[in-house]
Amino acid sequence: MNQTEATNKPHASANSTPVEKSDSGQGWIGWVFFSDLFAGLRLTFKYMFAKHITMQYPDIEKWQPYSRFRGHHFLLKDEQGDIKCVACELCAKICPSQCIEVIPYEDENGDRHPEVFDIDMGRCLYCGLCEDACPVDAIAMGSHFEFSTYSSKDLLVNKATLLAMPGKTEKGGVVIPASFNSDETVTVTAKNEKGYHWWDAIHR
Amino acid sequence: MSGILELGIMLFHVMVVIIILFLVPIPFTWMERKVAGHIQQRLGPMRVGWHGVLQPLADGIKLLTKEDIIPDRADRLLFKIAPIISLVPPFAVFVAVPFADNLLLSDMNIGLLYILAVAGLGIYGVIFGGWASNSKYSLLGSIRSCAQLISYEIPMGFAVIGVMMLSQSMNLSDIVNAQADTWNIVYQPLGFFVFFIAGLAEAQRVPFDLAEAEGDLGAGYHTEYSGMRFSYFMISEYLVMLTISVLCVILFFGGWHGFLLPLPPLLWFTLKVGFFVYLFMWIRFTFPRYRYDQLMSIGWKVLFPLSLANILVTGFFIV
Repeated sequence: MNQTEATNKPHASANSTPVEKSDSGQGWIGWVFFSDLFAGLRLTFKYMFAKHITMQYPDIEKWQPYSRFRGHHFLLKDEQGDIKCVACELCAKICPSQCIEVIPYEDENGDRHPEVFDIDMGRCLYCGLCEDACPVDAIAMGSHFEFSTYSSKDLLVNKATLLAMPGKTEKGGVVIPASFNSDETVTVTAKNEKGYHWWDAIHR
Repeated sequence: MSGILELGIMLFHVMVVIIILFLVPIPFTWMERKVAGHIQQRLGPMRVGWHGVLQPLADGIKLLTKEDIIPDRADRLLFKIAPIISLVPPFAVFVAVPFADNLLLSDMNIGLLYILAVAGLGIYGVIFGGWASNSKYSLLGSIRSCAQLISYEIPMGFAVIGVMMLSQSMNLSDIVNAQADTWNIVYQPLGFFVFFIAGLAEAQRVPFDLAEAEGDLGAGYHTEYSGMRFSYFMISEYLVMLTISVLCVILFFGGWHGFLLPLPPLLWFTLKVGFFVYLFMWIRFTFPRYRYDQLMSIGWKVLFPLSLANILVTGFFIV
C-alpha cells in the first residue's frame, strides 16, 4: 500500500518520506497538534522556493520548436541560389484544403520553375503532406509560428515571402533568450541558439 | 489658540495614518499574487515594473476607469454607501493601535475593547452590500459572512481575555509593555491559537472564506459590485487582514519589542506584522475551504470551549 502511494506521487522527493508517514499514520498527538496541516504548509513552502515553470514568452524568452515541428512553410534554394521547386504541382494536388496555388514557367535553360507560388495560410491545416509529396525537397515546414495578423489577407503569402521564411531548427525543445518589440514581433537575442532545456530545468 | 493648534496636529497625524492605510493594500495585493504564483511554481505578475511591483497601480487605474454598474432593482442608496460603510471601521481601528512606544493616535484605557467593537461594525457594510444588490448570490454571501463573523467574534473576544488577565489592563500600550521580558505567546499558546483561527475567519480568509466561495456563490456579497466600489471592499478586506495581524503581534508577540537584534521598535513591529500577513497568504494557498456546517461547528464546538478553558486555566495560574 505504502509502496503504491509513494510511486503515485511524481513530485515527491527523497526527503518527503516522513511527511507521508505522518499523513497516513499520525497518532492522536499528531492530530491534536495538526501535523497534517503543518505537512501541507511545509510542502507549499518548499514549492515557494522551487524552480518556476513559467516561460516568460514573449518578454525575455522564447520556445524553440523541435525540428519536426510543422510551422510556416518555406521554399528552399539549391547551391546556385536558384529556387529548388520544379513546379510539378504535386503539393497543390495533395493538399487536403487546396490552399497551394502553383503556376509554372519555363526559363531560358528549359527548366520548370514556379512563376507563382501562393499559399493561403489561413486555410492550411499544417498536415505536412506537401512536404512529403515534394519530389525535390523544395518545400518544407519550418520553425516559424508567430504569424497571426489582424487581416486574413495578410495570410496569403507569395513566393518571395516563402523563400525568406526561416527553416527548420537544428536542435529544438529549448528556451532561448528573446525580446518583445513594440511592433508586436519577437526578436531572438541569443548569440548561440542553445538556450536551456525546458523540461530538464523543472524536472526534479 | 493652542487648542486649534493641537487639533491641527491631531488632524495631521490622522491624515498620515489614513494615507498610509490607503497605500497598504497596494503592496499587499502585489505580495499576495507573488506568493500565490511562487507557491504554484508560477512567477506572478512580471510585466509592469520590476517583477510587477507596479501591477497594483495598473489594476487601480483600470478599476477607476471602469463603469460603475448599479443593478436595476438594487436599493440604490444602500448599494452606494455599503462599500464606504465597510471601509470606515478598518480605518477607525487604527486609532488605538500603538505602532511603537508612544507612536499612536490615541492612548485609550479600553483600546482593546474599542478595537474589537469597531472591527465588529464592518459587518454592516457586508450586510448592506449583500441586501442592496438584490441578488441571491450576494444575499447568501452576506448572510453567510454575518453568521460567520458573529460566531467567531465570541471565541475571539474570549481568547483576548487571557491576555487582559495577564497584563491587568485593556490599554494596548500597557499590554505590549507587560511583554517586555516574555511574550504572551509563551503563557497563552492556546489563546493565540484560538485568536488566530478566529482571526482567519474574521478576515474571511481561506479556509474560512465561505462568503466568497466562488464555486457556489459567485463572489459573495460583492458579486454585483464593479469599479471603484468593488475596490473599496477589497481595500477593507486587506485592512481587516492587517488589523488581525497587528492584533496578533500586539497581544501575543510583544508588539514593538524585539529579540536578539537591536532594530528600531517600528521596524520590529513592521517585520512581525509582515510575517503574519505572509502567514495569512501562505495558508490561503495551502488549504481548501471548509464546508459551512464544519465552519459553524469549529466555531461553536471547538474554539468556543477552548477559549473558555483558556480563561479558566489562566485564572488558576494568576490566582
